[in-house]
Amino acid sequence: MGAANGIEKMWEELVGLCNAQFSSAPFKRLLSAKFTQARAQQYSIQMAYYVQNRRDCWGYVQGSAPFEIKKLIWQHEEDELIGQKAQGKVDHITLAVQEGEVFGLSAEAFERTARLEGGEVCFSAWIRLAQRSWLEAIAASAILEMRNSGELIEGGSLSQRIGAMFERDLNIPMKKQINNAEHVVMDVEHAHLLMQVARTYATTDSTRRAILRGAKESLMIDRVYRGHLGEMVEALP
Amino acid sequence: MDLVSDLLKTLDQMVNDQFDSVEFKNFLAVPLTLERGRFYVIQNALYTSNRRDCWGYVQGGAPLEVKRVIWQHESDELINDPRAGMDHYALTVKQGEVIGLKPEDFAEAEIPSMVRACFYAWHHIAMHNHWLTAYTASHMLERRNNGKIVKGGGMSYRVGKKFENELGINLKKMISLDVHVVADTEHSENISEMFERYVKSAEDRDLVLKGARDSMAIDRAYRGALGYYMAQIH
Repeated sequence: MGAANGIEKMWEELVGLCNAQFSSAPFKRLLSAKFTQARAQQYSIQMAYYVQNRRDCWGYVQGSAPFEIKKLIWQHEEDELIGQKAQGKVDHITLAVQEGEVFGLSAEAFERTARLEGGEVCFSAWIRLAQRSWLEAIAASAILEMRNSGELIEGGSLSQRIGAMFERDLNIPMKKQINNAEHVVMDVEHAHLLMQVARTYATTDSTRRAILRGAKESLMIDRVYRGHLGEMVEALP
Repeated sequence: MDLVSDLLKTLDQMVNDQFDSVEFKNFLAVPLTLERGRFYVIQNALYTSNRRDCWGYVQGGAPLEVKRVIWQHESDELINDPRAGMDHYALTVKQGEVIGLKPEDFAEAEIPSMVRACFYAWHHIAMHNHWLTAYTASHMLERRNNGKIVKGGGMSYRVGKKFENELGINLKKMISLDVHVVADTEHSENISEMFERYVKSAEDRDLVLKGARDSMAIDRAYRGALGYYMAQIH
């Protein structure tokens, strides 16, 4: 198979895997929940930890990637870690904390609430994956943004679906969910990073297998993580 | 004396002591020829790439506030240093023109075995240690290049002077070395501020000292290796 065909086929498989996440039992469990304020608060706090873990992982990926890809990741991290000051956009951690206000959360609530135990285990697993060979590592991180791209996921990305649930259950319009709304837009753009990488580096069967391996393992952790979130949400009033 | 100022003095002493080590003395004593100069400039580009790897890993393991400081630091290195109008790798390649090097000389360069071992050792510290250890390990290489701390000038300054004195190439023409004389002073000061915020206990201090000791040991091995390889070029 030629490299171009191989990349297209790999891309289709990756998109398929991302869509399949939403048919998995953990995703169905989380997405069938009904949000109360208490549930939304805890979900929001745990998602801020998830965003922080993403920053850990992208740092490790930046470390092992080739020079030109390091630059792409550095730019990617500008939105996430620093924000676009010229456009009046804050970083995504601050955004998550600001969004917490609509759920009745203070900034202190984020600081004093512990990470979910199951979340901690998943975060460690993602970090281990981020420290693997760079193609596996970048696929593991990038696939989570593909899974959050409304352009690639039929029926809407995870951020869109959760946002719709907050709107349905708590009457909080999407535009007031500033973190969710931002990720609905940004992850469409960020989802293309892996394809940019693949066009230059996924030129052999073994490199494409490395990408698929990293993506599949990351999606497996993602399912476990969403399962823990679903369990947490159900346990709350 | 408080914990952090005592620690910073120890770090300052350590970077000064590097220049009294046999490995540094041997490296700085190798007379430069044009070929040796070319070898050094290419190796310096590979060293810069290794720094980018390590700072990425350090960013991965560090707390959020420190990640932001490192991200800013990497702006000069990876994207664009306003002092030079380009990133630091491109700067090193551009500097190579002065001594007849082409971009492909950098792209095709091999990492000699002893140098490779040092690069992997730096990777290991950056990826598999407590963040304070990892952070210090990378920071110390800029502190060792800070002319405000190192008596007689940091490494870039001294090597730049060797190019000037032994090959007749003005330091200002060695644009990467020249920029690093200033950039690493700024970088090491910005990065050093984080010690004030995060070193609160003897345990924290020991994590910093471990990173400093390990990195300086690798740095000596690295300079020793460069000196060895340069001496083989006739």
